Amino acid sequence: MKSYADIVGDGGSNVLDQVLSQRAAIADALAGVRHVLAVGSGKGGVGKSTLTMALARALAGRGRRVAILDADFNGPTQAHMAGLEDTPWVPGEGGRLALPRLEDDAVGAAGGRLGVVSLGSLLGSAQELSFDTVSHGEQHTWRSTREFAMLGQLLSTVEWGDLDHLLFDLPPGAERTVQYAQFFAGALGEGERGEGRVSFVMVTLPSDLSHGVVARSLTALSAIGAPALGYVENMAGYLCRDCGEVKPLFPEAAEGLDAPCLGRVPFDPELAALCDRGWPATEPGRAEAAGAAVAAVERVADRLDAVLPPGPPPGMPTGAVTPTGEASSPTAPGGQPLETES
Amino acid sequence: MKFLCVECDEPMKLHETRAPDDSGSLSVRFGCPSCGRDIAMLTNPWETEVVSSLGVKIGPSGEPEEAASRCPFSGVVQEMQVKEMEAERASPTAPTGPQWTAEALARLEGIPEFVRPMARQGIEHYASSNGHAVVDEKILDEARQRFGM
Repeated sequence: MKSYADIVGDGGSNVLDQVLSQRAAIADALAGVRHVLAVGSGKGGVGKSTLTMALARALAGRGRRVAILDADFNGPTQAHMAGLEDTPWVPGEGGRLALPRLEDDAVGAAGGRLGVVSLGSLLGSAQELSFDTVSHGEQHTWRSTREFAMLGQLLSTVEWGDLDHLLFDLPPGAERTVQYAQFFAGALGEGERGEGRVSFVMVTLPSDLSHGVVARSLTALSAIGAPALGYVENMAGYLCRDCGEVKPLFPEAAEGLDAPCLGRVPFDPELAALCDRGWPATEPGRAEAAGAAVAAVERVADRLDAVLPPGPPPGMPTGAVTPTGEASSPTAPGGQPLETES
Repeated sequence: MKFLCVECDEPMKLHETRAPDDSGSLSVRFGCPSCGRDIAMLTNPWETEVVSSLGVKIGPSGEPEEAASRCPFSGVVQEMQVKEMEAERASPTAPTGPQWTAEALARLEGIPEFVRPMARQGIEHYASSNGHAVVDEKILDEARQRFGM
């Protein structure tokens, strides 16, 4: 009697081929993306989405072409922070959607661009995301699989074009971080783990509890070889308006995390208000309130400069001749020499 | 999942798919190309969800795209507001928006189903706000230039 492996195809639907086609469509749509950065947190409410937007703005301010995919489908906030809640999703060519972008004057004068894809543009602020289901009352069983199917559909549908960085604002949950690492490995189609194009940054509070959850994520990432650039500690004390000193908000964690600390950001009500409006923290006169936060974000941006894969701008093959007749060489966007990580 | 006719030792071919009924059960009929014997795979709702969550289509190979797209396994999100919008649009008392040319409509229908109603609403709002009574490809390109990266 024939075994499973003896039979070619499945008799009709070719489900495996469909799954492979889905992955190929994602890889094709992301072919112009030089680097993917996933920003995770483990626990919710620690400032992951805010850091993602701040980092994206900082990178765009350096002249990069950047996009954010708000992968927190159940709590999307990026459309609000980007001011794109009412921006229409425009059908482009070939069944793809134009990548909604911020106005040029919102990302500085360096020629950078910032696009944001967030279900917050589709869902009302109090609306839940729901899926059609036939197993009434059992939706929780397949919820995660459905969300990853939708993620794949979004990735293969949007006109990402040539990007220097695609930032993923991950949903909370330690298990989510490693799920996404595995998703990238399968979907990006280069190397077992998508080496060279994917990095993670974690956001935590300074408490033992939050550190513990992020430590689990880091361990899981390390186990599968996914690179973590480091972590940012948010709400690391608060800025006392009376004495100007940073005082503790939480009991400090007994132990650090097994990853580089990229910055510590104290809580500041004025900064929090700015963040809700999408981080216009670099506006003139705002730098004092946001000083530590800006420094942390710039440090992460520096790290991203260092890990940006060497090579020509997206879409231009290595060794290609530029319009000026010069052979392309490893440079960071904006023409700055690229520092490779030692 | 594959089906084998044990008697003939031949892989069976998928002949027909019936969408899940009220109980959430999917019916898929397979036949043996040698002896002609038919069997049907009947799923329970949880098994239906397993396939559905993969975002794949179940149906005989070579089935026309239109028929395949009717299959429940398109993996798309149906969000409450989308359904409400479609219901409103179907209402005879609904206000009429801009008309769509066939080419513009084809571009709209090319994007995933779960974002289509929202995209349509957004484009119609943009067209109306800019004094256009018809949505054509020029309007779509203009909106893409205005809002897209």
